Amino acid sequence: MKHVLEGSHAVSEAVRLARAKVISAYPITPQTHIVEALSEYCADGSLDARFICVESEHSAMASCIGASSAGVRTFTASSSHGLALMHELLHWAAGARLPIVMAEVNRALGPGWNIWMDQSDSLSQRDTGWIQLYCETGQEVLDTTLQAYRLAETVNLPVMVVLDAFFLSHTYEPVDIPDQASVDKFLPSFEPRIVLDLQNPSAIGQMAPPAYYMEMRHSIQTAMQSVLENFMNVEREFETVFGRTYGPITPFACDDAEYIFVMAGTAASTCRHAVKLLRDKGHKVGVLKLKMFRPFPYHFVRKCLAHAKKVIVLDRNCSFGAGGIFAQELRSAMYASNQHPQIYSFISGLGGRDITVEHFFEMLDRTEKANNPENESVWIGLNS
Amino acid sequence: MNQSIQTQSPNNVSLLISQSRTNTLGNKTGTWRFVQPKYQEKTAPCSNACPLGIDVAKVEMFASRKDYQNALKTILMENPFPAICGRVCFHPCESACNRQFLDQSVGIHYIERFVGNWGIKNNNASFNYPELNGAKIGIIGAGPAGLSVAYFARCLGYHCDIFEKSDNPGGLLSSGIPSYRLPKQILMKELQRLKYNGIQFKYNQPVSMKQLDDFKHLYDAIFLCCGDAQAISLKISGADHAIDGLHLLHQIRTKESLSLEGTIAVIGGGNTAIDVARSLLRMGARPIIIYRRTRKEMPAHSHEISAALDEGIELKECLSPIAIQKATDHLQVSLQVMKSGEKSKDGRQTYIPDGNRRETLQVNHVVSAIGAEMEMMWRNDQWDLSMSHCQMKKISDMPVFWCGDLTTSEKTVTHALASGKQAVIVLDALKINTDTTDTDTEIKSICHQCQVGTGPAMSFEIYQQGKRKQRKNSEIVNFEQINTAYFPNIPAVQVNKLSQDLCLNSFDEVISGFDESQMIQEASRCFNCGICNDCDTCRIFCPEMAIQWDNDIRHILMDYCKGCGICIVECPRDAMNLEVEP
Repeated sequence: MKHVLEGSHAVSEAVRLARAKVISAYPITPQTHIVEALSEYCADGSLDARFICVESEHSAMASCIGASSAGVRTFTASSSHGLALMHELLHWAAGARLPIVMAEVNRALGPGWNIWMDQSDSLSQRDTGWIQLYCETGQEVLDTTLQAYRLAETVNLPVMVVLDAFFLSHTYEPVDIPDQASVDKFLPSFEPRIVLDLQNPSAIGQMAPPAYYMEMRHSIQTAMQSVLENFMNVEREFETVFGRTYGPITPFACDDAEYIFVMAGTAASTCRHAVKLLRDKGHKVGVLKLKMFRPFPYHFVRKCLAHAKKVIVLDRNCSFGAGGIFAQELRSAMYASNQHPQIYSFISGLGGRDITVEHFFEMLDRTEKANNPENESVWIGLNS
Repeated sequence: MNQSIQTQSPNNVSLLISQSRTNTLGNKTGTWRFVQPKYQEKTAPCSNACPLGIDVAKVEMFASRKDYQNALKTILMENPFPAICGRVCFHPCESACNRQFLDQSVGIHYIERFVGNWGIKNNNASFNYPELNGAKIGIIGAGPAGLSVAYFARCLGYHCDIFEKSDNPGGLLSSGIPSYRLPKQILMKELQRLKYNGIQFKYNQPVSMKQLDDFKHLYDAIFLCCGDAQAISLKISGADHAIDGLHLLHQIRTKESLSLEGTIAVIGGGNTAIDVARSLLRMGARPIIIYRRTRKEMPAHSHEISAALDEGIELKECLSPIAIQKATDHLQVSLQVMKSGEKSKDGRQTYIPDGNRRETLQVNHVVSAIGAEMEMMWRNDQWDLSMSHCQMKKISDMPVFWCGDLTTSEKTVTHALASGKQAVIVLDALKINTDTTDTDTEIKSICHQCQVGTGPAMSFEIYQQGKRKQRKNSEIVNFEQINTAYFPNIPAVQVNKLSQDLCLNSFDEVISGFDESQMIQEASRCFNCGICNDCDTCRIFCPEMAIQWDNDIRHILMDYCKGCGICIVECPRDAMNLEVEP
């Protein structure tokens, strides 16, 4: 049944349906409404879980690590500075191979203080060993959160479900909330592969000297390499129960496109509209929305972009000194490909600034006219 | 380190993590230590302030756990009459309570009263005295001091004969303190604790100084516990028109038909004046308290003064009576108006007549409640031994102790009980140390060993068993040493009181005390300063898990304690110390 829901609450509903057992969070800004709703569910009994209200996001992740090590389904949510504070524990969660699921609302980091949409927070955690899935709609947020548990528990890696601040987290949309029985069918109760057992005590995550450490890291990478295949399986099963599917990437009008826009998050919706308008004027353009960023779906991306002349990458982030992060990933993805479309890197919409249809027109215009990409990312929408 | 790696791979997903089944017992972190924690109990400020040195923190701990048997046992080590003291003691413990610096003091005396009542309800909780040791003592007076001597002496096996000039026990407890503060029934039931083989009450037997000589054949020692039996009379013209306050209180308690009506001037500012005024109010009269200084200087306990004023009793300050004249149907009291003079050497405010300013007051009766003093025959200033709470002089080679009001400067029930306790300890020490040459030093040293904290109070438990001394040191726990993170602000539980209307129409007990749930709530507010109440915080916080339970005793494994001091910092109640390793 469809409900009009905030993006944040779409996450909360999914976590309730997933029957998480331990939810730990720090409740103050940059936190969103996600855990607020969950704390109410815990209090009113509609979710049988322990809500641990901690004094920092660092402790929130530490609690999730502890709970997950004890073998229960866990959840937390954070953003920007909160996520940054979790940093060392994000490494630990992945290294300990714990299937923790976190909702990450993309918010800018200060200074200056800004809680609006920006991808810098999640992208600066790209090397921690977490799977990252970026969402575009309220429905996708809910569905991805449910899929995240299946995926995490299959590959024993933590998953970050990423959604844009305000554009998604605070925007109300009709969202189909599945019934519990269907969710239980898709997501059975958690059977941990790693668990602290009081009857047979052991310490996990203990010291690993040089003779062991490298194999453990290799194991993470191997597991990461299996994520794409497992994600496809999870999606297939999701589709049989709920009739919806997303894919690691979502191409739109790409088949014959000479110019393909690439981005993640809600800007893809605006871009799709721009593409329709541009197509009407005769431009052969398409959009590739990236859902999965870690692991990076190289194969899918290469296949989709192979025949394009030029790829226009929109980054709502900047790795200072190197430019847009998605653009770098795409260059690296296409380098090993047989075809090498030119990669045009644009940075726009930082700190919650709107990206409009006109911005996409401008990006296309500059790309069409250029013979070669500029050395640096081009900033669009700067105040003059 | 024994390292094992776990590999499981359903779904063909690689999973390799480090896992260890070895423990840290091989890592003897105790070798890092240069300071070591120790469980060291200290003295709570309430115990230090208590004239009887009761281990209050421990009493509250037992009471909060509903372990009334042990709560009562702990009190009875130092105080024979918790139900009485829980009502009439001026509770200096509460003024010293560390909790006042957080929110409000713990209502210690209400908890003591509850425990005392529990003892009464449960037949004094099977109190037993030891076998008699063959020694015999004579006690003159069955007031608080005499009863205290009997109790503590009997606890050491002495046979006690108590000579009482009236026909019932209790002294001031039964004849002076009004029943709205101490119901007769409670008094009599609590005194049952002294109804035991080896304690003999001899009523209607006044003793004079001359008789003491004859006693030396009968007793090993005599304890004079006669109290201040001689009322101090007003030295003004017409003083014979005034009724003696103590005598009046005695009559009120014994004669039901007594009636005094109209306006009554009550002269004095001590507890007797307050007791008289509140009693007269209950009989339907209109008492006016007349005091020559201000309320601030009144020797009565301030909570008693407040209670009297709350009940509507008028207080006239800075008025000193100079004459009482009899008119046809009333008395006329002439009063000199007083004003503040210079401060005396000890810092006390003096009051001097304000010129010739006079007032007159027409009243139906005048009650004099300006105090009492000892009878002439007991006066003495040559002592063989002089202690804080008692004095001793040998008469025909028999030690005679002056106890209670005869020696203490603070004339309260609790001080009288403390005096009896001290005198018994001194007698017992004297008997044991007959062959020492320097008796005085020896006795004082024994008394010093029994001292509670830094105060004058002596512990009978320490004297008998030394147990408390072994457990506790005399350091007083300050508020700064309490870890208040463990104590949220909780205001004191309000005590149940009789309504004003009911109060003024009867001699029923005004303060009815706590019910069980209130008492537990209040006892749980106690910080338990300086004692270990098994809260286990030290064990929970020890990063090396070096604190362990073994046969119900918590102990520190020195092989693993690295001396970090976290247990000491976390201990909510300062029951641990950090000491430099020898």
